[in-house]
Amino acid sequence: MPIKVILVKDTDSKRADQTRDFHTRLLDYLREINLLEQIRVVRVADIGVYEQGIVIKILPDNTIYANVADSDIKRIVEAVFKENEVVQDLVFKPKAKQCRIVLRNCGKINPESIEEYIACGGYLALKKVLGELGAQKLVEEIKISGIRGRGGAGYPTWMKWNFAREVASAEKFVICNADEGDPGAYMDRSILEGDPHSVIEGLIIAAFAVGASKGYFYIRAEYPLAVERIEKAIKQAYDYGLLGKNILGSSFDLDIDIRLGAGAFVCGEETALISSIEGKRGTPHPRPPYPSVKGLWGKPTVINNVETLANIPIIISKGGKWFAQIGTSTSKGTKVFAVTGKVKNSGLVEIAMGATLREIVVDICGGTLSGKPIKAVQTGGPSGGVIPKELLDTPVDYENLQKLGSIMGSGGMIVMDEDDCMVDIPKFYLGFCVEESCGKCSPCRIGGFQMLGYLNKISEGKGRPEDLGQLRRISQAMQKASLCGLGQTASNPVLSTLKYFEPEYNEHILNKRCPAGKCSSLVNYGIIADKCKRCGICFTNCPAKAITGGKEAGYSIMQEKCTKCGRCFDVCKFKAINKK
Amino acid sequence: MNKLTPGDLDQMSQVPTDKPKDWIKVGMSSCGIAAGAEEVFNFFVEEVKKRNLQIEIKKCGCAGACYAEPLVEVKVEGLPPVIYGTVNKEIATKILEKHVISKMLVNDCIFEVLA
Repeated sequence: MPIKVILVKDTDSKRADQTRDFHTRLLDYLREINLLEQIRVVRVADIGVYEQGIVIKILPDNTIYANVADSDIKRIVEAVFKENEVVQDLVFKPKAKQCRIVLRNCGKINPESIEEYIACGGYLALKKVLGELGAQKLVEEIKISGIRGRGGAGYPTWMKWNFAREVASAEKFVICNADEGDPGAYMDRSILEGDPHSVIEGLIIAAFAVGASKGYFYIRAEYPLAVERIEKAIKQAYDYGLLGKNILGSSFDLDIDIRLGAGAFVCGEETALISSIEGKRGTPHPRPPYPSVKGLWGKPTVINNVETLANIPIIISKGGKWFAQIGTSTSKGTKVFAVTGKVKNSGLVEIAMGATLREIVVDICGGTLSGKPIKAVQTGGPSGGVIPKELLDTPVDYENLQKLGSIMGSGGMIVMDEDDCMVDIPKFYLGFCVEESCGKCSPCRIGGFQMLGYLNKISEGKGRPEDLGQLRRISQAMQKASLCGLGQTASNPVLSTLKYFEPEYNEHILNKRCPAGKCSSLVNYGIIADKCKRCGICFTNCPAKAITGGKEAGYSIMQEKCTKCGRCFDVCKFKAINKK
Repeated sequence: MNKLTPGDLDQMSQVPTDKPKDWIKVGMSSCGIAAGAEEVFNFFVEEVKKRNLQIEIKKCGCAGACYAEPLVEVKVEGLPPVIYGTVNKEIATKILEKHVISKMLVNDCIFEVLA
């Protein structure tokens, strides 16, 4: 029986894959010295390390060697069998390491089994809270942990609970905000689908803290699987007496219901969400009064994000002090990020606050898919901004991102390379906000629409230098006077791209040119005569019949007819179409 | 089902979830299902029945490595638990024939080996 396993992967993406060759040579050597019975060698698809040449991992030791050459094989094999010995000059220690607290059970347990959740220590935090801890000490523990709302605003959770706790009222409510409207963000979806009981347990604990007797899950209808799993989990909790009357034999009662969202981004905002549950149109209300004092049906209501609630059981189990040791001085704990866009390994990354953007996007997620350099990383969704590549070593926490003109938001992180246009990106986000605006207040309803108009003009080559000043002026008005966060932050992507990429805006305005080649009106397609093989594929594929010529004389594109669809560029096998 | 008491919770939390039995876990969250995990899961259930293998096919949530879905974790006695990525029916067949039956890890398809 082999006692050691060696995993092999060539992680250099810029050359032909050498995994197989190295694997063969390693096997040959082991066969030579008769060690094949004791060492198993496996070629893997992913070794968790990127762009470090040939990487091997020794198990069960967990030693990783990087940039390994054939000549190193002998030394490595010798070290494998000596106790505690490693080949120092080849050892690789990954800097960035994920810290699975919120996602502790995701991927491990069956989300449809409450027994598996309990077997992992589930509902023991609730038992502690109802038994020895009590509501006062519970809030104290949450305060010590320093956890801040993970929905984006980063408000101290203990404070929200405390406000609601202190209001005398016969009826109080707790709500789990599972609306998750940010494009590209799906952390909450994965938590609800992968570990629904952790969120339910968090919600029950929140209800106990404030004295609520009714709870709601507000889940967006676009998440049918999450709704299904939460529904199943709630029923299982009722069956086991973890919901309903006299929970775990205590005097605490709680009922939980599900309410579905109906496609409105604005309903992720607290007061609009409350309106929606009340059966009204989802429009926000001025605050104060804050929901903790006067919320659902005028009663004290605590609304918490899915990720915030998923943290609660483990904070109670391991203690607030334990949680406060993770993260930075202002931002405790971990954050789950949904890294998407032009990145190799898109997915969810949970890491302690304070990790740098580079660690997340390059070290863990492998950098850009195309291999082209990162241009910027967008964080915080439509309320956020871009962080240019020069600032990728910024440690991620609430304050740092704000200082740079962005926000943490709910955790969406979009990686962009040189093919992404810094006028097009804010245009997308602003378009989203304009579409999602409830229309109640003028700054957002009119301001957003006007700003989008300017961005459209600029991306069509009709912009003027004064437009940038107008964009800034309207942004200020929206920030100061909009009723809710949607309007207040809709201008962030524009302001952020103006801050770091103003020259790119000027290229569009003054030179009528889009450096990224994205804004279709500013892109000109042309046939490179000396590369053109006259195959006629572009001619046959042009939907606007904008290509003239023939196999003898060659082809050319009639600019007046060209709709800039890019089809010719995509179909040409000889790279004879240039795009500029 | 009986309403739980605090004592019941303590007892149930001691139950080991990974009994010595062999199992295959398929990631079945939206990301996995979008990548084809449901077909892979159903394929495993069918094939295990056809081949009469003593191995449980289980579901789990999203482990975070969405780029590598469908993710399948395999635990077979005598081998470390292994996570295979971008699994399709072809790779699923190899997992059953090589890994489960012949106790040999399937090269080129592994995303993580849990020591």
